[in-house]
Amino acid sequence: MKVDKALITAAGRGQRTLPLQTMVDRDGVQRTVLSIIIREALAAGVDRVGVVVHPGDQRAYAEAAGEHGGRVEFVEQTEPRGYGHAVWCGRGFVGAGPFLLLVGDHVYVSHRGDGCARQLVEVASREGCPVSAVQATHESKLPHFGAVGGRRVAGQPGLYEVREVLEKPTPTEAEQRLVVPGLRAGRYLCFFGMHVLTASVMERLDRRLGENGGAVHLSEILRETAAHERYLACELEGRRHDLGARYGLLNAQLGLALGGQDRDEVLSGLVELMAQRA
Amino acid sequence: MDARTLLETITSGEPALRDRALEGLLEGATSADLAGWAAELDAFRRRSENLYERVRALFFLHAIHRYHLPARLAVEGRAGAGWIPFEGFEDLLGRRFGEAIDVFLRRQTAEGPSDAISSALAAAYQRLAFQTLADQVRRSVRSVRGNQWMFRMGHPLDQPLRIRPELLQKDADGAYPILREETPVRMDLTHSAWSDIFFLGMDYPEGARVVNISVNLGVHGRDPEPRPPVSAWLRVLDEPVLRLTSVDLGATADVESLADVFDFAKDYLGLLKAAVIASGIVPPGIEGSGHSLGEVLGQVVGPGRGLEVVSSVNGIPKGSRLAVSTNLLGSLVSACMRATGQARSLTGALEESERRQVLARALLGEWLGGSGGGWQDSGGVWPGIKLITGVAAKDEDPEWGVSRGRLMPVHHVFGRDEVPESARRALQESLVVVHGGMAQNVGPILEMVTEKYLLRSGPEWRGRQEALGVLGEVVDALRRGDIRALGAATTRNFRGPLQAIIPWATNHFTEQVIARVAEAFGGDFWGFWMLGGMSGGGMGFIFEPSRKAEAQDRLLEIMVRTKREMQEGLPFAMDPVVFDYAINERGTWADVLFGADALMPRDYYALTVPTLVRRDNRSLPGVRRVELDRFGAAARNSPELRGMVQVLFDALVPRERSGRRGDESLRELLEANGFDREQHELVRRDLREGRIGLAQNRLRADARIEDVAEGDVSRWKALADDAGLRREGEAALAGGEVAVVTLSAGAGSRWTQGAGVCKALHPFCRLAGRHRTFLEVHLAKSRRVGERHGMRPLHVLTTSYLTHGPTERYLARELGGLPEVQAGEVWVSPGRSVGLRLVPMVRDLRFQWEEMPQQVLDEQQQKVRESLRAALMGWATSAGEGSDYTDNVPLQCMHPVGHFYEVPNLLRNGVLARMLRARPALRTLMLHNIDTLGADVDPVLLGWHRRSGATLGFEVIPRRLEDRGGGLARVNGQVRLVEGLAMPREEDEFGLSYYNSMTTWIDIDLWLSAMGLDRAAVLAEDGERIGAAIRDLALRLPTYVTLKDVKKRWGHGQEDVFPVAQFEKLWGDLTAIPDVRSAFVEVPRLRGQQLKDPAQLDGWLRDGSAAHVEGLGSW
Repeated sequence: MKVDKALITAAGRGQRTLPLQTMVDRDGVQRTVLSIIIREALAAGVDRVGVVVHPGDQRAYAEAAGEHGGRVEFVEQTEPRGYGHAVWCGRGFVGAGPFLLLVGDHVYVSHRGDGCARQLVEVASREGCPVSAVQATHESKLPHFGAVGGRRVAGQPGLYEVREVLEKPTPTEAEQRLVVPGLRAGRYLCFFGMHVLTASVMERLDRRLGENGGAVHLSEILRETAAHERYLACELEGRRHDLGARYGLLNAQLGLALGGQDRDEVLSGLVELMAQRA
Repeated sequence: MDARTLLETITSGEPALRDRALEGLLEGATSADLAGWAAELDAFRRRSENLYERVRALFFLHAIHRYHLPARLAVEGRAGAGWIPFEGFEDLLGRRFGEAIDVFLRRQTAEGPSDAISSALAAAYQRLAFQTLADQVRRSVRSVRGNQWMFRMGHPLDQPLRIRPELLQKDADGAYPILREETPVRMDLTHSAWSDIFFLGMDYPEGARVVNISVNLGVHGRDPEPRPPVSAWLRVLDEPVLRLTSVDLGATADVESLADVFDFAKDYLGLLKAAVIASGIVPPGIEGSGHSLGEVLGQVVGPGRGLEVVSSVNGIPKGSRLAVSTNLLGSLVSACMRATGQARSLTGALEESERRQVLARALLGEWLGGSGGGWQDSGGVWPGIKLITGVAAKDEDPEWGVSRGRLMPVHHVFGRDEVPESARRALQESLVVVHGGMAQNVGPILEMVTEKYLLRSGPEWRGRQEALGVLGEVVDALRRGDIRALGAATTRNFRGPLQAIIPWATNHFTEQVIARVAEAFGGDFWGFWMLGGMSGGGMGFIFEPSRKAEAQDRLLEIMVRTKREMQEGLPFAMDPVVFDYAINERGTWADVLFGADALMPRDYYALTVPTLVRRDNRSLPGVRRVELDRFGAAARNSPELRGMVQVLFDALVPRERSGRRGDESLRELLEANGFDREQHELVRRDLREGRIGLAQNRLRADARIEDVAEGDVSRWKALADDAGLRREGEAALAGGEVAVVTLSAGAGSRWTQGAGVCKALHPFCRLAGRHRTFLEVHLAKSRRVGERHGMRPLHVLTTSYLTHGPTERYLARELGGLPEVQAGEVWVSPGRSVGLRLVPMVRDLRFQWEEMPQQVLDEQQQKVRESLRAALMGWATSAGEGSDYTDNVPLQCMHPVGHFYEVPNLLRNGVLARMLRARPALRTLMLHNIDTLGADVDPVLLGWHRRSGATLGFEVIPRRLEDRGGGLARVNGQVRLVEGLAMPREEDEFGLSYYNSMTTWIDIDLWLSAMGLDRAAVLAEDGERIGAAIRDLALRLPTYVTLKDVKKRWGHGQEDVFPVAQFEKLWGDLTAIPDVRSAFVEVPRLRGQQLKDPAQLDGWLRDGSAAHVEGLGSW
């Protein structure tokens, strides 16, 4: 399976300005968040990137895409019908092949040489099925994420066969349906904001949106996927930073800086701050 | 037979081996065999890792020490006195049962088996077994998936629950919507032999089966139609508090701290608190974390916001056996879970997985609140008629390897294809559901059932199997809609298996009502149906449909009449009621009330509006003003709120007249019963100034308390064969020289937990074919003595203000036909002294609770108890320490002043004079307690007393663990009886071999002379001289202050228990007066033991005591 397209969603309410923020990336270069995410995707080996935007946002986003503008296409989500719908809007761009799905308000810091997206695409290419990146997350964070339940794939650390998907579950539901053997108590596999999806997922979205005039969560479609085909979840060696969370931007910036070439400079700045505070 | 057979019975998977009865296995064993096998069982229970095996071994050990070894020792003539080490007793109180067993076993090894040590071991093994079981159930409740996370959550920021956004949508006036959950209660149609006790369900899942129906209820004649009887209401508040209101209990509070949320007994809001905790809003893991409630609520509802939770019960009385409180808890939990997104649907019905989660949380809530129902009790959460069954544990369950079955049963809701509509209708057209009104404590029954199940006692085990068969019949009859067959099956269940397992499932009241209904309706009465743990409360009667309406009215009339006849001897919490009911086919159901409809239940306003209107209107939050406006409008327009204006007016301006009337009747009663105001004020002053009190009851700390020496006590064994003594006694009996004095003044505070009924008139047990009262038993014994010796002894019943009227009425109405009553040989001696109870001193409450050894309860119950005690100390302070206790019905405010006065009263009220006139030869009185059922006028003991030359001859028995409250001792060298409350040190009592049975032989002439009187003075009824003599004697006796638990009843069968102070002088202290010569005799346990607590009844029946008493009487 070859993944040569990536789709970034950036049309969500309260999320639209985040990809336009400027940060300093791991190499010490100032870039917009959108540009950082596009680089993550390109580093994973994709050729073209589609960005789902709110009508009217295209110009600002095109600017924010910077040097990669030539490899980017924009798709508008004209009505707010949920995340599933935003993904579905990109169907024309992705066509019939598998695609890498990213969200516009997360940045990722890999703990190894290759990026997070690349790690995921490699797994998906090898396994030939949809794969979602997940991260073991404390139950107190459940109100913020979709989460999966399933069992480990024998002999492949960090890889899980998904049996159940729930959007923002309560801990009560999570404990009953999402417990994964081998995880610490009170931790669940929550979405990382990064998936490799296939045409079958797009078809399911298409069907569901046709039946239903309201909003559609991607989680619902992924649950259906898990019930009908092989669908995996993969823990990556890296960290996600949700820019929309309280102090999200700050934490993301620190994550990038401490994982990059300016680590010493930022660390000494932090120590100085702490010393003054004391 | 050897120990291996016993172990095999425990460990075998083969039903034929596993289900053998212990009694059968132990038959013919000697005491040495039993002691050896017990040692092997004890070693086994220590090494076994399987919980079930450990528990069964513990119950085997309990049974050996409770029933088999003591009986064997008695037969072998080795049942002498023994000592129970105090150290072990302290371990028992501290719930260190394992350590207690070790201490007792060491003593047994050192001194050989004895009746005393076996009694201690029996108690310790039994408590350890129940503790192990309870721990298992609790562990399982915690480990149910979906419950675990709440125990991990220790910080508000970790709180993952969020309120549903729909509940945050304010209307135009700024008011939040209200989520309303309405829930039916459940009726258990089969009563499958208590198989819904958690442990049974978890150990014997294949036998745990019940058919349970969700019903709406109304009180017949009061409510227009049956409705879901319980409801829970929830809304968001703009204040960071948890506002909890129990409309049914009339309590409301703003809870502002986490500590208060976990304080269950502080107020009447424990159930609501348990629901808030068990639903995860304030999860159990956060208790004691030091964080604020506002932080937790802020996470769930939003910063600065709070929640209001209201519970309401549609006037259904407590003890209805319909699991009202468990279903209310279920309703509250369900509402809280819906509100926080833990159920998919905010409104309507719940999904099956959600109902199961509500069940798991309700179990958790019951555990937190220190109570516990059966696993079928949340049945009202489910719709319609369902079969609930235990499930074997599988390897993915937390119970796997721990118990054979799962904690949670499965519910199969019968569809219309299984139980057709016609059958449902037919059931409703035939069945009358009632509440008989009796107050009951089902706890001991549930323990008995568990124990018998584990011992596989023959008749009980067969009964259990038979009950399972009846369940099949009931289901079959339901499917066919054959209600007559159903009635026959439930009746057979009640008559057969249920009473084979627990004879106490029935009682005199129930039997009488059934008999009267059968008489009134003949063949149209199709059957009786026992609703729950025991009968007398909720019950069902099945009739031919055309007579149901008539039966409802008639049943009420029969129950009320029967209650009136028996209420002086049996504890009733309320008047009987008949219910209207309908099967609820929806189960628990929720809706959201918006705008003008967003009103709480009607009585919520009766509770809250008076406080609000007293406040300055401007200080009321805007939302409250809006709500008052809306309520005002609704009260004008809604028929449901008709009459509210009057209710509110009454709440604002409480009527005082009824209170004054209560005071008047108390004053009159005190006067009529010889209340001495002057004496009372002296007692009050002494109490307040600390001259008397619990600490001052004790003998001086330097008093030397030793066990009696050889020769201080005569022994029955040595006397029994003395033909001379027997002849002497027989001659005295034949000559009419003896009378019996039965102390019948007491209300049996332990027997009915302070319900204030007359213990003598309690039909406590079936003897010689029917239920008999204590009084009947004593008269039957005197009758038999009369038949043997040609002359019946006179029989005196000493009464008090509490028992006099009831006793006289009972004699006239029920016993008027007895020969001794007709012959005028039964006398009633009315009490002539009465005291007025006092609000206790906090000092004494502290002494009782903090300085005296206390039974520690399990962790959760202990917390509840501590918070209750803090509340009671608060009550004593606010009510005024040492002030008169008048806040109850008058009879509960007065108290008898101790049994010392009973014999002097015979002089004062002229009864002794009349007896002497009737029988001039009368020389000896045999005085005994109402509950010493084995005491009869035994010629040998009479001969012994005569020959001893003593004024008073006291019967004592070798002590067992349960014989608390003093004993026979040498105090500074003088042999005398010491009351428990006078013991300077608790441990002193444990060095005493003998316990006082209270049975006393009195030589009338010596007694009179000790008081400075003689027969002539008595016959002259010289009141002044007699009064002075009694006062002089009384002055020489100590005055004890005691705390008594008194029940206060209110609402619909609700009860509160208050500790109140009273004082008394006690009979046994006469042994300390040198010029009253006393002698002591050791008598067999069967003769001297007392029946103090209904929980003793089962053992009393099983260990041969009942049969012994039956043999003493002429029925």
